[in-house]
Formats: sequence, structure tokens, C-alpha cells
Amino acid sequence: MAIPYEFGYQKPATLQEAIALLAEHDKNARILAGGTDLVNELKQGFRVPEILIDIKGITELKNIQLVDDQLEIGALVTFSEILHSKILHDNAYILFEAAGLVASNGVRNRATMVGNICSAVACMDSASPLLVHDAVIHLISSQGERNVPIQKWFDDNRKTTIRPNELVTHVSIPIPKVKYAGAYQKMMRYSGEDLSQANVGVLLFADNTVHVAFGSVGPIPKRSPKIENLLKAKGLSADTIEEAKQMIEKVIAPITDVRASKEYRLHMCKVMFVRALNTAQARIKKPKLITKKLHYEKKCLQSE
Amino acid sequence: MQDYKYIGHSAERVDGIEKVSGAALYTDDLEFGPDLLYAEIVEGPHAHAMLNSIDTSEAEKVPDVLAVVTGKDFPFNFGLYMKDRYIFAQDRVRFYGEQIAAVVARTPIAAQKAAKLVKVNYTPLPKILDPLTAIQEGADLIHPELKNYDRVPWFFPTPDTNIAHHRKIRKGDVDKGFAEADYVLEDTYEVPRYSHCAIEYHAAVAKFDHSGRLTVWASSQSPHTQRNLFANALAPLGIRHNDVRVIVPHVGGGFGSKAGVTMEIIAAAIAMKVQGHPVKVMWNREREFYNTYQRLGVIAKLKIGVKKDGSITALKHDLYWDAGAYVEYAANVVNAVGLSAIGPYRVENASIDSYCIYTNLPPGGPYRGFGYSEFLFGLESHMDRIAQHLGIDPVEIRRRNAIKEGELTAYGAPMNPNGLLQAIDRVAEEVRWHEKLTSNDPNIAIGKGFSLFWKAPAMPPNASSSCFLKFNEDASINLLVSGMDLGQGFLTVMAQIAAEVLSIPTSKIRTENPDTDRNPYEWQTVASHVTWGCGNAVHKAAIDAREQIFDLIERTKHLPRETLYLEDEMVKCTTDPGFELLLKDFVIYGIQMEDGTFKGGPIIGRGSFMPEFTSTISDPETSQGGHPNVHYTVGAAAAIVEIDKQTGKVRIKKIVEAVDCGKALNPSLVKGQIVGGIMQGISTVLYEEMKFDHRGKMLNPNFTDYKIPTALDVPDEIIPIIIEVPQPDGPFGARGMGEHTMIPVAPMIANAIDNALGLRITSMPITAEKVCLALLKKEKKK
Repeated sequence: MAIPYEFGYQKPATLQEAIALLAEHDKNARILAGGTDLVNELKQGFRVPEILIDIKGITELKNIQLVDDQLEIGALVTFSEILHSKILHDNAYILFEAAGLVASNGVRNRATMVGNICSAVACMDSASPLLVHDAVIHLISSQGERNVPIQKWFDDNRKTTIRPNELVTHVSIPIPKVKYAGAYQKMMRYSGEDLSQANVGVLLFADNTVHVAFGSVGPIPKRSPKIENLLKAKGLSADTIEEAKQMIEKVIAPITDVRASKEYRLHMCKVMFVRALNTAQARIKKPKLITKKLHYEKKCLQSE
Repeated sequence: MQDYKYIGHSAERVDGIEKVSGAALYTDDLEFGPDLLYAEIVEGPHAHAMLNSIDTSEAEKVPDVLAVVTGKDFPFNFGLYMKDRYIFAQDRVRFYGEQIAAVVARTPIAAQKAAKLVKVNYTPLPKILDPLTAIQEGADLIHPELKNYDRVPWFFPTPDTNIAHHRKIRKGDVDKGFAEADYVLEDTYEVPRYSHCAIEYHAAVAKFDHSGRLTVWASSQSPHTQRNLFANALAPLGIRHNDVRVIVPHVGGGFGSKAGVTMEIIAAAIAMKVQGHPVKVMWNREREFYNTYQRLGVIAKLKIGVKKDGSITALKHDLYWDAGAYVEYAANVVNAVGLSAIGPYRVENASIDSYCIYTNLPPGGPYRGFGYSEFLFGLESHMDRIAQHLGIDPVEIRRRNAIKEGELTAYGAPMNPNGLLQAIDRVAEEVRWHEKLTSNDPNIAIGKGFSLFWKAPAMPPNASSSCFLKFNEDASINLLVSGMDLGQGFLTVMAQIAAEVLSIPTSKIRTENPDTDRNPYEWQTVASHVTWGCGNAVHKAAIDAREQIFDLIERTKHLPRETLYLEDEMVKCTTDPGFELLLKDFVIYGIQMEDGTFKGGPIIGRGSFMPEFTSTISDPETSQGGHPNVHYTVGAAAAIVEIDKQTGKVRIKKIVEAVDCGKALNPSLVKGQIVGGIMQGISTVLYEEMKFDHRGKMLNPNFTDYKIPTALDVPDEIIPIIIEVPQPDGPFGARGMGEHTMIPVAPMIANAIDNALGLRITSMPITAEKVCLALLKKEKKK
């Protein structure tokens, strides 16, 4: 299907040029990175732009790096690159695990993680892992730089706090001082590519702090302080986990739609929460995640 | 057993290199030059409405628009078995998304823009979205003119109702049969609609040239049937059969969706209004779902009586089909099931009522299995439940009742030779049916399920096939047939049949998808009949060519013809070992005599085939007396599943399926059909689910929310088994098996789930969500 209208296209070579273009076109510009969401929107005629600013030529946005105790993931990093990154595998396994469950190989080769949280479609896979890791989003515009904690990033389904003239340069994840392990669970209708009907991210720390996030069960993904506080206060006994599991009904309010019923989503969130917690507990006991090869997708998909 | 050189071996596909190299062209790949026009369809936003008026004036003003056409331009009915369809809606719209008008423009963008400017005035009517509502007393009529439609003589509409066809079987005495039963089980099974999901969209390009010739390039299973329907529908515009030419390049899958005529007629009709220009009509994935054909939904009420030993005493099967807005093809699905809904069993007392019911959902139509998957879901679930009640093994109850050669089918004709018992035994052995499986993980339940299947081609009694076989100078062959290679490997098998008769290697036989001007008649590539029907025509054509060769040798070399045979591309003689004549030396050039003259001429074989023993004439009250089906293909299958009790997810560990194809002309293609059919069956039972809103609009016409399996969803193990009990009238004993392979999957998975969890699910699909919620409900009851 063709895009049934005209629009401009620019491919800046530097961040400065991109910012200048954004300042010039403001609301009428849209940023093209992977394009896996954007091109579909263009074909369907949503938010018709005057100009597309293709940032794929800005090499500094392609990095995955560890800078002191911060893990940085650039705006152009694709899910396939996440799946080939030893740094991410070793330091943010939950993000690595979620990346393996995003769409299909073809989409993962183009789609970027930053694009995923900028599109902010409620069923995105990146949000829960970033929420449990207390990630920070780094933006730049002609007015300067701005940082937004992930907990304040999402406004609504498909809406974030980004301003029209801003560009996300990267996302950073603070590396915890204590030992930690995460696990991601995604509710899918089959083993192939699917949009999550619900997802749960859990990050467990050696001091028994637990971060829990639920995605795709409301307009925006959320951490659950109630459950986190309960687990922190009472520890991870079977009884407490059961109590936390029952609490989920009060924490999230999924809906019934074409993909799943409210009832099944709620039930699956409970199942996935316990499984994620169990997996994280098993992982934190291991000395270090053993990595044999750098392409782990198949393993991730089968570990479900 | 006879030793064959070409058939029975897994010959390389004749279209293999073409497809893997990318040389193969599909309809959308064809180039038509700068005169090509594009059409955009205007669709109705009501499931049921009166269409009062259409204002095309604004659309016509858009630059690059050449024409806007509506139903007024084509006030003609058409249809395969019953003429209840229209090229564009006339005074009434009957399903959400039905075509109202088309804009023809120089660019797709102009056409799309103009289509939005077509103004249509409707008066909404009450819509009927399910078959049981449609047959209630006083229900609104979707086709008030039903009784006036032209139709085949074996359809029986109920005038002034929404029942477009009612097929009845009355065999033996069911009341007596139920009275004699020790146990009677009665229940209702529901199977919803499904979509074919062929990877290539429907596409058609039509050109009505200045000489009055109408050529249509289409992605189709039915080139000759399309030619026939185009010529008949457009006859009022002066079109005759020899004015119409249908050319079909490679096709990326059909599964029934490209049988008969659907969107292609739009291209053919529009072309008549823009003479001299080719016009392209391309469907998109959404329209693939809601405006081609859908598999029919059915509500089946089934009652079976049995003796203590499991033998069936009576069967009553009432099937209410949701056939959709137009049933020109769907009514024959209903008919086929009406004739066969006893399943592959010996049933002396049977009553079947199969109702084809109009609803305001998209048109139903042919889909791999042609109704058999739908009714066998209930029937094979029922057999398991009966076995369970009686304490008989599910395999044993099937063995005990399995229909044998010579026993009577539902319509009273004798059953053909078949290997049903062999299939049952081979499958049970391969799946280790009696071995109990348990899981170490308390959350995982393991179960086994079994199912039989049968299916006959559903065809008019005079459906026929034909073949031309032309030799080339080097004794290579062009084999002209009009069956379609839809990916199943049909052309390869035709080449193998000719190769076997003529001793020419398959690689020297070129056979391609047809052009109706050049290739001889074929009814359609449907019903799993082309290997059998067209295979017989090819077999005859090859024998015809061989006899011409022997005639010539007899005439010129004076060797008795009964001593002649073909081997290694040569004519040889049983009594004269020294005699060898290469075919390439004479099949075109003839044989030179001593006086220098030549005898012979190009060898051209010809074969045609019609099943002359079939008849659809029978008593409409009982369906006894005719011979509507040529034969049944049977088989058996079993599955082992693992179920995650917390999530309801079903993982298939192993599937074994045996099919009696008479003779596997190409074993690897047969196995390919078995694996593919199993995957399609898994898809319908576990994943696919069509959802409609209260307006009758489909909510998930896309692969984001209509799920078909990926490589990750393939069972851990699939074991195909070939059974060969020859079909006496088939080429080398072959009979069809393509559709059949998906039929047993849904009931055997349902049976395996019940075996694992003690949970009987009587409606499809059996999604993880359905299993999980049913389990939670069951636990609550405890």
C-alpha cells in the first residue's frame, strides 16, 4: 500500500542539524528511526507530517555503552542489536529478554527501543523492563538538554511528555550497587510474533527489594508500589507471594478487547507475576549469567 | 507390485527452480505499460441496508479519474451454483464492506481520493448476524427474490425464508435405531467462520481491447470456470465465451478462496467501461478477510445411539450453516456435508438435515475441507465421549464402526475400496496409543487424542478435465492442462504421469499454469480432484500419444504393435532386442521410407475425462438413489499434547497422520500436504478467531489480531504415513488427499485436551484463554 500524500524528507548528518530542523518545523515534523510504527501511521493517514527527519545518519545515536555506573542505549539501537549486545545481556538481562519477544526477526532488525517508548503504544515490550530499572530518558532540543525519569515519561496510550521540538538521544539505566536479577513475562496468543496482551517485569535485588511493573493492562505501563512495599516489608515467603498475587486485582484494571478478556488478562498477570518472581529468584542465585553465544533469541522464546 | 520409474518417486518440482530463483511471476508482478489504470472500491458501511442512490459527480471531477461505475452499469446476477450475486450492489447491501461502486483512475492515489467522494444514500435494515435468528418465524428476508434465482437442480431452497438450500438424508429408520440403542448422546457443537489466509492477495487485471476481446489475468484456482462466469454474466454486453481469455500466472496459495469467482468479476466488468485500457484491481489483506469467501460457520446438533459394544444404531445430525450474504458457492458446501455427515462409519439408520442459511455476514464459500472439518469436529468429539461413557477404547470404537468397501454411504451407494482400518492401526501403533504418558511437572497435563476423517470431492456430475500433449523435436514435451498449481505440486505430478507412460524424464516435460485460449478445459482446481480427474486426462493423453507412436512403427517398420514398448525415450520391441528407435528421431519429423518419403507427423496426444458414473438425481426427501460423490478418501490421525494448566496453553508434542491416497504418485508432495494440512488444522483449532462487532463489521481483518501459526508453533514431531489401497478408476490407483489432511486436527486436539484435563470443549477455536477459563470454572465448582 502506498502512502497517499506528499511529504518532505531530510536526513541530517549531525545531531545539531537534526535539532535545527526540529526547531524549524516543530509540530509539523516527525522523526524517522526504525519506522516500523511510523510508516504504518503514514499509510493510514494519522498525523500527516510536513517533513520526516530521518536520524539514521547520526552515528552517535547508535551506541550501547557503559559509562561509569550508567548503561546507555542510543536512540538508534534496534532490538536485534540489543540481542547481540553482551553489555546488555550481562547488565540488563530483562531488557534483553523482552527484546527477544518483540515482533519478528524482520521487525527487530529495524525497530528501535527508543522508538518503542516514543510511540508509547500501550502493548509495548520495552517499558516494563525500563520501569523496573528506573531508566532515565535523555532529550535534546534547541533549548538544551532535559532528562525525564521513565516513571514520568508516559502520559497516556501513544502519548509521552516529549515536546514537539525535542529528540531523544538515549536512555540510561543506573547499574545497581547490589546484586540483582530480572525477569520478563509476556502474555501472547501463540509462540510467534504477537503484541503483548499483558506483561510483567520483575527486578529483584540482593537486599530483597523488588521492583514490579505491569504493561499492556492500562493506557500506560506502571510500577506497583503497593506490591513492592508488601514484598519489601514481608520478604519473599510463599505466603507473601500469594498475598502479593491476590493484590494484583486491586493494582491493575485490564479491559476486554479483541485480543483477550479482562478476566484472562488478570489471571495471566497473576501467573506471570509469580513466574517472573520465581525466575528472578533462580537467576539471582546463579553467580553470573552464563553466556555461551551472543545470539540468544531462540533461548528467550523457549524459556517462556 | 508393478515397478514404476517416475511415479511413486519424489521427483523434483517442475516449478521449483522458477520459484526459488524468483523467476516466477505472480499477477501483481506483470507489467502492463503506461495505459494501466487502477480501480478503488467503494464499500458499504452497513451489514444490511437499502441502497437508495449513489452520487458520483464529485468523484468524477478528480483529476486522472476516467470512470466511476456502480451497480446500475451492471444489473446482472452471477454465481457458480446459484445466481444470487451481483457485480456491484443493486438496491440492497447485504454485508458490511460489500462493493457499491468503483473508481477507475490513472493512479492508485487519485482512485483512492475519488472513492472517498462517492456519496451513497442508504436506509438501514434490521441485520441478521446468526443463522438461528435468520430461520426464526417472521425473520426479515435477506434475499426476497430467492425463489427466482437460477440454480443447479440439486439445490432446494425454502421459498420466502432465509434457507437457500436444504439437503436431507433419510436412511433406514432412525426412530427404531434410537429405540434399540443402549446409550444415546446428544449435544450441540459450534464451529465459527475462518479465513483462508493465502499468502498472495487476490489480484486481477482485465483488458477489453478495441477488437472486443476481454482478457483477464488473475490469481485464480478456476480459470475456465472464471471464463464461463465472466462470459455468462457479461453476455448482455455482447460477450461470448470465445471473446474471453483468462490467463493465470503463478498463484501464491488458494485453499478455496480463489475458486469460483469473487473480486475478479469486478476487474472484468470495469474493463468493459474503459475499452483499450488494462485495469488493475488489487485486494489488500483486510479485504482478503471480508470480501472474498469465508469458511462457513455451523451450529451442529448431533445425536448418536449405540449398543453396549459401541456399534452405532442411529445417527441424527442437524446442521445450521451461517452461509453469509451470498451463497452461490457456499450452498454446495452445505450440500456436500448433508450427503456425508455420517462420517467414515457404517450407519444403517441416519437422518441428516443440512440447512444453508443466509445471514448479513460476508459470503461463505469453499475452504479446504469443504465443510468436513466443521461437521467432523462434533462427530469425532462425540465418538470419544461415547467411548468414554461405555468404557471402550476410543480407537476400538472407531475400528468397530469404520465403513468398509461395499457398505452403504448415507445416500445408499456402496463405499469405495479404502484403507481405513490400516490407517487406524498404523497411527495407533506409531503414536503408541496404549502407552500411558505422565508429566513430572504437576502444572503440565499430557493427553492423547484420536480422530478419523473422510471426504469426497463435491463436484457437479459432469465436472471434467482434459489435456493436450505436444512433442517437441528433441522428444521433450509440452503438457497442456488447466488444473492449477497452487503450491501443492499438481504440475509436477501431471508431468510424472506422462513421464511414466512415455518413458520421458519428468525434467523434459514442461507444464505450466494455463491460458484458457491455449490450454484445454478443466472445471476447477478444487475438491482435491485434480490429481485424480486431470491425472486421468493426462494418462489418457499419454496413452493416445503412445498409440500414435506404435501406429507409426507398425505402419513403417512392420513390427506387431503388441510387441512394442517404450523405454528410455526409445521404442523397443520384445521380440527383436536389436530394435531401438529414439523418439526424438521421429516424433516431429516422422520416419523416412525407402523411397525417400516420410510417414507420420507431429505426435499430439489428447485426453479427456468425465466421471460418467455419477448422478445428482435422487429423491429430495431422502437423497437416496443417486451417486453424487465419485469416491471418499479416508484416514486417521492422533496427537499428543502438553497443557500448561495455569495458562491454558497447548503445546503439541507429536502428531501422526495416515491418509489413504490410493497411490502416492509423488510421496514427498503427499507428505508436504500432510504437514501443511496439519498446520492449517492446528491454526483453526488453537489460534484463529474471527471477531465481528454488533454492526457485522469484522474487527480483526489482519494478522496482528487474526493469528496463524509461525515456525515457532510447529509441533515437535509430525509423522506422515501413506496408505495405498488403489482407487480402481484413478491414475495408477491414485485418489485425492490435499484437503483431507487438515480435517482430523480440530477434533483430535479437542479429544487430547479432554484426555489430559477431563475438559470437553464443544466450540472452536480452543484457545489458551478458553481452556484456562474453563479450567478455572471447573475448579471453582469443586
